Amino acid sequence: MNALKRYWWLFLILFVIVYPLTFGDSPYKTGILVFVGIYIMLAVGLDLLMGYGGQISVGHAAFFAIGAYTSGIMTARYGIPPMIAMTSGMFISAVLAWATGRPVLALKEYYLAMATLAFNEIIFTLIIGLEKFTGGASGLRDIPPFSVFGFSFENHILYYYFVWFVVFLVIASSIAVVKSPFGRTLIAIHSDEQAARHFGINSPKYKTSVFILAAIYASLAGSLYSHYMGFIAPDDFGVMTSINILVMLFLGGIGTIYGPVLGAAFLKILPEITYQFQDYELLINGIILIVVLVFMPKGLYGVLISLGKFIFRRAR
Amino acid sequence: MMVQNSDILNIENITKTFEGVRALENVDFRVKKGQIKALIGPNGAGKTTLLNVTSGLLKPDNGSIYMNGQKISGMTPDKIAFLGISRTFQLVRLFTINNATVLDNVLLGAHKQLKPDIIGTIFRRGSLNKKEREVKDKALEILSFVGLEGKEKFLPGALSFGNQRLLELARSLMTEPQMLLLDEPASGLNDAEVDGFIKLLLNIRDRGITILLVEHNMKVVMNIADDIVVLDFGKKLAEGTPSQICANQQVIEAYLGTYGSAQECV
Amino acid sequence: MNDISHFIQFFFSGITTGSIYALIAVSLVIVYKVSQLICFAQGEFFVFGALIMTTLTQKGVPMPLAFALAIFIAVCMGAIIQQALIRPIQGSSVGALIVMTIAISIALRGLALIVWGRESHILQPFTQGEPLHILGASLQLQVLWIFGITVIVLLMIWYFFEKTSLGIAMRACAENALGARLMGINVLKAELFAWAWGAGIGALAGAVVAPLLFMQYTSGVMPMVKGFIAMSIGGLNNIAGSVMAGFLLGLVESYTIGTISSKFSDTIVFILLMVVLIFKPTGLFSKS
Repeated sequence: MNALKRYWWLFLILFVIVYPLTFGDSPYKTGILVFVGIYIMLAVGLDLLMGYGGQISVGHAAFFAIGAYTSGIMTARYGIPPMIAMTSGMFISAVLAWATGRPVLALKEYYLAMATLAFNEIIFTLIIGLEKFTGGASGLRDIPPFSVFGFSFENHILYYYFVWFVVFLVIASSIAVVKSPFGRTLIAIHSDEQAARHFGINSPKYKTSVFILAAIYASLAGSLYSHYMGFIAPDDFGVMTSINILVMLFLGGIGTIYGPVLGAAFLKILPEITYQFQDYELLINGIILIVVLVFMPKGLYGVLISLGKFIFRRAR
Repeated sequence: MMVQNSDILNIENITKTFEGVRALENVDFRVKKGQIKALIGPNGAGKTTLLNVTSGLLKPDNGSIYMNGQKISGMTPDKIAFLGISRTFQLVRLFTINNATVLDNVLLGAHKQLKPDIIGTIFRRGSLNKKEREVKDKALEILSFVGLEGKEKFLPGALSFGNQRLLELARSLMTEPQMLLLDEPASGLNDAEVDGFIKLLLNIRDRGITILLVEHNMKVVMNIADDIVVLDFGKKLAEGTPSQICANQQVIEAYLGTYGSAQECV
Repeated sequence: MNDISHFIQFFFSGITTGSIYALIAVSLVIVYKVSQLICFAQGEFFVFGALIMTTLTQKGVPMPLAFALAIFIAVCMGAIIQQALIRPIQGSSVGALIVMTIAISIALRGLALIVWGRESHILQPFTQGEPLHILGASLQLQVLWIFGITVIVLLMIWYFFEKTSLGIAMRACAENALGARLMGINVLKAELFAWAWGAGIGALAGAVVAPLLFMQYTSGVMPMVKGFIAMSIGGLNNIAGSVMAGFLLGLVESYTIGTISSKFSDTIVFILLMVVLIFKPTGLFSKS
C-alpha cells in the first residue's frame, strides 16, 4: 500500500509506455495522447509561472505560437533541420519573454492579465497579417515530420514516444525547480513580494526567469505540435487557447505541477466523450468547469489527494 | 555590556511625508554596533515608517541612512538585505502559498547564501543537494535556538501568534544578519512568552547581532535596551539610557505616563 | 468619394463602434468598481441582447417591447449569475475568479449555440429608411439610434452615480467596502445591482448594434476584448475615462483600418494597450 502511495507515478509512466502498444494503437488514438502531452507542457509551464510565481498570464499561447511557427516556417519553407528550428524557436521565445518580462511582470493582477492578453493578440494578429511568411489565416502547410540526425519520426508511435520523452523531461525539470531553493523563492514572491525582497530576493529577476522558462516549454510544445500536425493555423494560438490552458490549470489544481497534468489530460479527453452531444458540448464543458470551480477549489488533483488520504486511512 | 566605538547605523535627518502628513521630520540618531536600541513612542509616531525607510520599502524625502558608512537610503530592500540588515513586521508576514512549511520559511532566509538560479537548479543538482543539506541543518538549529524545535513541518497558520513571531525571528536570523530591525516583536505575547523572549533577544545580542527594535512593551524595553529613542508625531522627542528616558518629563507626559508603562521604569 | 468624405465616413464608423466599446467598457467598469471583478462573460450578454431582441421581433413582438425585454432578461441573468456563482467564490484568488467568469462565458456561449444554432442572425433596423448622405459620406439611420441611445444611457449612468443615493452608496462600496458596510450600505445588494445592470448595459449595446451586424453565438468575444481595452486605457475604476477611451478606440481603429491597413489595425490597437498598461496602468485619463 505504501509503495502505491510513493510510486503511483511509475504506474502512469507504465500506462503511457504501454498505451500505443495495446488499445491506443491507431494514429487517432495515439494522437489524443500526443495532444495531451503537448498541452501538459503548456499547462505545467504556466503552473510554474502562475501557481508558484504568482504571475497571471492570459497569453501563454503566444509562445506556443512562436515555437510552432518558427519550426513550421523554418522546416517547411527553408528546409532547415527540425532540431535547429526548434532550438531557434525556444531561443526567440526566451528573448521575447525576457524583453517583455521586465515591464509586464511589474504589473499587478488584472493589469498583468490584460498585458499578457494583449501580447497574445499582437502575436496572433501578426501571424495573420504577415501572410507571406506564415500563410496568414489559411495556415502553414507541408510541415515535415520531426527528424533528428536523419532519423525521421514519420511513424506515429515513434513520435508518440518522442513527444512523451520530452514531456517527461519537462515534468521532471519542473518538479526539480519547484522543490529547490529557486522554487521556494518563487513561493515567497507569490506569498508576499515585498516581504520576500527583504531576504535578498530580487523579485523582478526571478519573475522574469520563470516567465522565460515557461515560454521555453511552450515553444517546445509548439514545435512538437507543428511537426505532428503537418499543418498549423492561427486559430490554434489565439487567446482562446491561452484561456484553455488557464482552465486546465484550475481544473487540475493550480500550484501542484501534477494538477495541470491532470487538467490537461481531462480537458483533452473530455471532448472525446462529450462530442457525441454535438451542439450541447460547449454548454456541458462550461457547466463542468463551473461545477469544478465551485465545489472543488483545489482542483481534480486536490480531490484525488483527499480521496487517497481517505482510502489509506481506511486501509489501516 | 559590549560597547563598540563604531556606529553600525546612521539615521541622519530623515523626513518623510505622505499626502501632506509629516510621518517623519528630521529624525536623527545612531545605533552602535552590538547594542540593543529601542524605538518607542505613541501609535502613529512614525516608528514603523522609520523602519520602512531603513529597510528600503520607502525612500526618504530628505536625509540619508548609512550602514557601516555606506549609504543605503534609496536602495531597494533586496540590496539592503545583502548588506546585512534583516527585519520583522508588525503584522507577521510569513510565506504560506502552496503549503509552505515552517521549515520552508526559515530556509528562505538562506536565499542570500544560496542565490538560486534556474540553470543551476536544473543542471547542477549535485552541488545543490549538498548545499541544501547544510542549509537545512542550520535551519533546524535556528528553530531550536528560538524555541520552535519539532515544529518544522507545521504550516505557519497552525502556529500560535507568539510562535509565528518566533518564526519570523528565526527566518531573519537565518540570513546571518549584522543587524535586526524588529517591529513590535513582543506584541501579542503573554507574560511567560515575554520573559522567554527577553532572554532570546539577549542571546541574539550576545551572538554579536545589533538590534533596533520598535516596541510598546516597556518590560521588554527596560530590561534589554542599552539605549532608547523616543518618537512623537514624527519627531525625535528624546534619546538616552533607560533611566534617563524614565526621568524625562516630556516623555512621561507624551507616552509613558498615559500608557501606564512608567511602572516598568527602574 | 473624396478625402473629406472618407474622413467623415471613418468618423461615423469610428463613432459607431466607439459607442459600443464605450457601453461595454462602462458595464465592465461598473462591475469592477463595485465588486473588484472583471467579468469575462460580458460579451455573452452583448450577444444575448442582440439575439433575444432579434428572435422576439421575428415572432412579432413590437420593437420597443422586444428591446426592453432583451435588456430585462439580461439583467435577470446577470443577477442570477452573481448570486449563484460569483458570491460563493468571492474570496478566491484573482486567477480563480477570472477562470470562473471565463467558465460562465463558455457556458453562456454553449447556451446560445443551442438556442440559436450556428447561423448568423440579423435584426431589422429600428427605423426603416435610406441612409443619410453628409458631404459624400453615408450614415445609416441605425447609427443615429446607436449614438442617441448611448448618450442617453451614459447620461443616466452619470446621473445615477452622481445624484442618486443608491448610486453614491455604490461608489462608496467601490472606494472602501468595509467603511461602506459600517455606514449601513448593503454591499451585497450593491454588488448584485452592479452585476445585473452591467449585464443589462451589455445587452443593450448588443441590441442596438444588431441591425448593423450579423450576430452569431461567437460574436461576443471581440466586442468584449475591445471593451476591456477601452477599460484598461480609460482606467479600471474610471467611468468617464472608459467612455472616452471607448470612443477613442473606435476612432483609432476606424482611421487605422481606413488609412493604414486593415490587416494590422488590431495589432496597433493591442500595442497601444500594452504601452498604456506599462507606462500608465491606471489609465490615460486618470489623475495619477
